[in-house]
Amino acid sequence: MTLALQIVTSGLVTGLIYMLIALGVTLLFGIMRVVNFVHGELVMLSAFAVYFLGVGELGLPFALAMLCAAAAAAAVGVICQYVLFRPMHYDILNCFIIGIGASFAIRSASWAIFGPEPIAIPAIVPGVMNLGGVFIANQRLFAAGLCVVLAIALYLFLHYTRPGKAMRAVEQDREAALLMGISSEQVYVTAFIISAVLAAVGGAMLGSLFGIDPEMGAEPLLKSFIIVQIGGMGSIAGTVIAALFIGLTDSATGTLFGGELAFIIDFAILMLILIVRPRGLFGYDVSH
Amino acid sequence: MNVKRRRLLLAGASATALVATQAHAQAKVIAVGVSLPLTGPGAATGITTQRTLERGVELINAEGIQIGPDRYTLKLAFYDNKYVPAEAVTIVEKLLADGTRFLISLGSGNSVPVVARTTAVKALQMSYASGKGHLTSPDFPLSFRVAPTNETAYAVYPWLRATYKDVQKTGHMNPSDEAGFTESEDRRMIAEKNGFTNVANEYFKRGSTDFYPVATRLVNAKPDLIDFGGTIGRDQSLGCKALRELGYKGKIMLGYSDAKSFVEVAGADAAEGTLLFDTLVDPQNAQQKELQDWWLKKYGPPFPSFAYSAWDTPFILAMGMKKAQSTDPVKIAEALRGAKWDGLYGPEAFGMKSVYGIDTSITRAIPIAVIKGGKPVQLTTVPWPADV
Repeated sequence: MTLALQIVTSGLVTGLIYMLIALGVTLLFGIMRVVNFVHGELVMLSAFAVYFLGVGELGLPFALAMLCAAAAAAAVGVICQYVLFRPMHYDILNCFIIGIGASFAIRSASWAIFGPEPIAIPAIVPGVMNLGGVFIANQRLFAAGLCVVLAIALYLFLHYTRPGKAMRAVEQDREAALLMGISSEQVYVTAFIISAVLAAVGGAMLGSLFGIDPEMGAEPLLKSFIIVQIGGMGSIAGTVIAALFIGLTDSATGTLFGGELAFIIDFAILMLILIVRPRGLFGYDVSH
Repeated sequence: MNVKRRRLLLAGASATALVATQAHAQAKVIAVGVSLPLTGPGAATGITTQRTLERGVELINAEGIQIGPDRYTLKLAFYDNKYVPAEAVTIVEKLLADGTRFLISLGSGNSVPVVARTTAVKALQMSYASGKGHLTSPDFPLSFRVAPTNETAYAVYPWLRATYKDVQKTGHMNPSDEAGFTESEDRRMIAEKNGFTNVANEYFKRGSTDFYPVATRLVNAKPDLIDFGGTIGRDQSLGCKALRELGYKGKIMLGYSDAKSFVEVAGADAAEGTLLFDTLVDPQNAQQKELQDWWLKKYGPPFPSFAYSAWDTPFILAMGMKKAQSTDPVKIAEALRGAKWDGLYGPEAFGMKSVYGIDTSITRAIPIAVIKGGKPVQLTTVPWPADV
């Protein structure tokens, strides 16, 4: 029983952290049909930014360091939009290829700039909680809580604010939104900023839980793509449900059958869903 | 033509000849291909090795390698194998096709797949890798392993047995690749030979983020000591952190790491008490101090202790060339098998014929450190066992 509870607790918490990264990916895809491979590098660069601002010589308070990192990530996100994706006219294949290239370039440059030694952001809430034999680090709970808060904030933003409604309008029908006076370019900028901010917070959380090195964004991004594909590209609700599902599956398979099987099972589930329902559980047909 | 003009022409011709001779002397360069993970999950170790090799070769080239009347220098060509065996094979195929006959390789997953090919073309391969019989065997007489890896267990486990009487059950955690499988196989065998009972043997994907699942399995097996074997870099810190967060109270032992980075990422509380095999915390002799000072001056802190392990290789190669008085890899390998020298760690040798049937695996004393009060502290140095 304790083992089962441990599996569920660990899985849900990890799933929520992956969810935050995946939300940034699905937001851009939903609105622009852009698969942003640079997202993982934004996660990594933000974690380094929080480390150097908050832990390094500047020693800013964590919240301030994270705000600065989020602002910097937003700027980098918009630069990526203007330099990488806009010249490609947001063409899905071209953006896909240029995103992969940029991602490798940023990662390789980061090894040269930041050096080989891994570092970490100290836990904001240190210690471990023991709930009747089920252990979970306080920092993990804090990170998961923050991810939930941000997911709710994103939902409220998209449904109850003017820019959020504009984003949904562009997502549903770009031409009709244009006829209503909504500037799709402005919406794209907003989407890139929000996506980058989610990446920045995700980076800060991952950096405090799993350490920082130039490769740190790679696995969460891969997981995000699996989550987004299972949940349905562009679907916020689908992403949340798929993230929790993948978190639980990883935890269960990894604990019961060994770590290596988790990825195999993730991909098996992904393949099954793509065969049975190519647009994902809650997604829509991209060609429409 | 007057005398003055003739002298001028003569001087010009002499100068041209001198320049040509010097150019010829400078042309005696020996190409050494280096296949390392410079990006990807092994990058921290790869970059450390690259920087250390560059410094070593700089010092060697300042003096040159005298072979008969000729002076040779080494020229390193680095390639990023990303810790992907397929990349490593492509790199080595290219190097061999270009005529390179000296290879330095890091990581067992990158070294084992190429050893048959380097042996076939009689190229000398020096690997920082586990891989035991897959790299060290009479079938591969030109393959040398230049860092003690899985074999450290031959020295460390008898010391564990004598020092920690309460440790009876051992668990093992390794990456699910060639290095991990080899390390696990050897360490379990050596642990058993020393009277320990193996209760867990777990694998994870190198570069994983979440270690809770594998740590949960290990904790449930209730080992007194968990040996991280071939786990390197950030994986060590995350594995240790997950184990402690899940309530594991036993001992953890790991190696091939930079102790200070390990503590920073794992956290001081989680890292406390961890045993670090083959880890030098602070320089123990003038040569080690010189290397550390050079690194700190050039790259700043932290100094990665793996640089000590990476240091000797180009000097061993240069020693082999001088000893063989040849640039022929076959003759150099012959000179190196069973060779003894004074390295960065003191007396070192190529040995282990008793295990592998050939003296091509490095043997030397193994320094051991422990994390105490959040800081790595040198604990002891275990001598290499006489019967191995």
